[in-house]
Amino acid sequence: MIADLPQIIVTGLALGGLYALMASGLTLIFGVMRIVNLAHPAFIFISAYITWKLFTDLSIDPLVALAVTMPVMFVFGMIVYKLFFAREADNPRYIEITVLTTFALALIIEGVLGFIFKGTVRSTNPPYSQQAFFIGDIFLSRAQLYAGLIGIGLIAFLWVILQYTRIGYAIRATTQNRSAAQVVGVNVERTSMIAFGLGVAMAGAAGSLFSFVFTFFPGGHWEWLAILLALIVLGGMGSLPGAVIGAYLLTIASVFVNDQIGFKWGPMTFFLALFIVLMVRPQGLFGSKIEAT
Amino acid sequence: MSLLEIDGVVAGYGRGPDILRGVDLTVEEGEVQCIIGPNGAGKSTLLKTIAGLLRPRKGRVVFQGEVLNGLRPDQIIRRGIAFLPQERSLFPDMTVLENLRMGGYALEDKSLMSERIEEAFAQFPILKERYKQKARTLSGGQQQMLVMGRALVLRPHLVMLDEPSLGLAPQIVAQLFEIVRGFKDQGMTVLMVEQNARQGLNCADRGCVLDLGQRVFDGPADGILDDPRIQELYLGTQKKAETS
Ligand SMILES: Nc1ncnc2c1ncn2[C@@H]1O[C@H](COP(=O)(O)OP(=O)(O)O)[C@@H](O)[C@H]1O
Ligand SMILES: [Mg+2]
Repeated sequence: MIADLPQIIVTGLALGGLYALMASGLTLIFGVMRIVNLAHPAFIFISAYITWKLFTDLSIDPLVALAVTMPVMFVFGMIVYKLFFAREADNPRYIEITVLTTFALALIIEGVLGFIFKGTVRSTNPPYSQQAFFIGDIFLSRAQLYAGLIGIGLIAFLWVILQYTRIGYAIRATTQNRSAAQVVGVNVERTSMIAFGLGVAMAGAAGSLFSFVFTFFPGGHWEWLAILLALIVLGGMGSLPGAVIGAYLLTIASVFVNDQIGFKWGPMTFFLALFIVLMVRPQGLFGSKIEAT
Repeated sequence: MSLLEIDGVVAGYGRGPDILRGVDLTVEEGEVQCIIGPNGAGKSTLLKTIAGLLRPRKGRVVFQGEVLNGLRPDQIIRRGIAFLPQERSLFPDMTVLENLRMGGYALEDKSLMSERIEEAFAQFPILKERYKQKARTLSGGQQQMLVMGRALVLRPHLVMLDEPSLGLAPQIVAQLFEIVRGFKDQGMTVLMVEQNARQGLNCADRGCVLDLGQRVFDGPADGILDDPRIQELYLGTQKKAETS
């Protein structure tokens, strides 16, 4: 048997929570608005750079920076929605418009980040980013553990909002049947704006955690886009539990590939999974075929 | 003053042609009015326009003396007009209970919610039995019950139903029209579109015929049922205005 299996699973579980958090906003935004937000990893990078700036200039811990990046990105998301997507819902070319708009946004963000922060590879290094636990001979990075636990905690928080609050009901209703939501009195435009904000706030939280787990440079978001798309396509686009399970499955799989086949091949796991899922079960594990509206 | 007055309303989709070409219509407090007419006449378009899903290009929609033109659907429902569209507009992955709660989304006084849901359960015991089930698992008839139950939770002043009998088995259709009469008995006014013209008119106080985007006739429901010209044109072997 594979001697490293416990190690692979522990690392995969720790990282999986962060991957799931990165994917959660993407799947939420797709579910409610049918927008494939190609700029989602770029949003994560904005937050990572804000966190880096707070850390290097003001010595603010990235975990504390969450309290800044989440609300800032929430508002930023709502503004982006208002500027680019509000009132496009009835446009017959909605898909093309949203794909091109989010693509352009990603490029612009990349350019602005490059201009402000230069092309240097960055990361934050709070004390715990260098520390680890040992359980027997299993190694567990503190950075990964913190990121994974906070990631899954924030997803649980998002899930509670969706399940039990008034705005949560409105968001789920709009996701499942937009016109029905309208006729029971949901303001779908406002709901979409808030959902977009929530999704981008999740990207904001993910960026702060990302900053001490991974490294980043302005153009690095494209690779993450492919990875995140693989996660939510596997889970079923629009499904939050799907994104979480997709994240854990693929993270463990990629750690396994890293370990057994070679470091270069880890990312390929995601792309291969994306390809296979699209061929075999395009609606993913938890996705239902999109309702006609 | 009538409860609802439609004056010369012109409406259509996107940049497309006018579908409603100057519709005049009134709905009186407490009545059940049934709109009939061939396929493609614009019946659904008219209800969608009143509900705010489409904006009138010309004319006015006046409810209780207030002009509704330009209000959003979520604002119009808060004025007391509920719309039950032709396609059963449920939330498929929500439970029966959650769907009923969504029915009360526009309820101003939320403390009424649980009482109203109990009333809906009393009227539709099958919904109570299945309250934990996802709406997508219900049969067609049960889904229609759920849509009606949802309207009961809100208790709107005016309920608009678009072809409620569509796709239902005959014995359920009879039950459905009883429920519609029940809405009236509970103090609601009903504006209903029906392809099932005879049964629809039988259930109604007043009827109205819409054809090619205009009202061509209106009057007491039994008068319409007995009118030989209308029988020939709209009630007989359902002639259909071809739409492409
Ligand atoms: N969403 C839509 N977009 C464009 N045209 C539509 C739409 N819905 C209906 N129409 C057109 O409007 C006309 C009237 O349709 P409708 O109001 O549904 O008729 P009815 O309910 O009387 O059968 C038809 O010609 C139909 O093709
Ligand atoms: Mg119709």
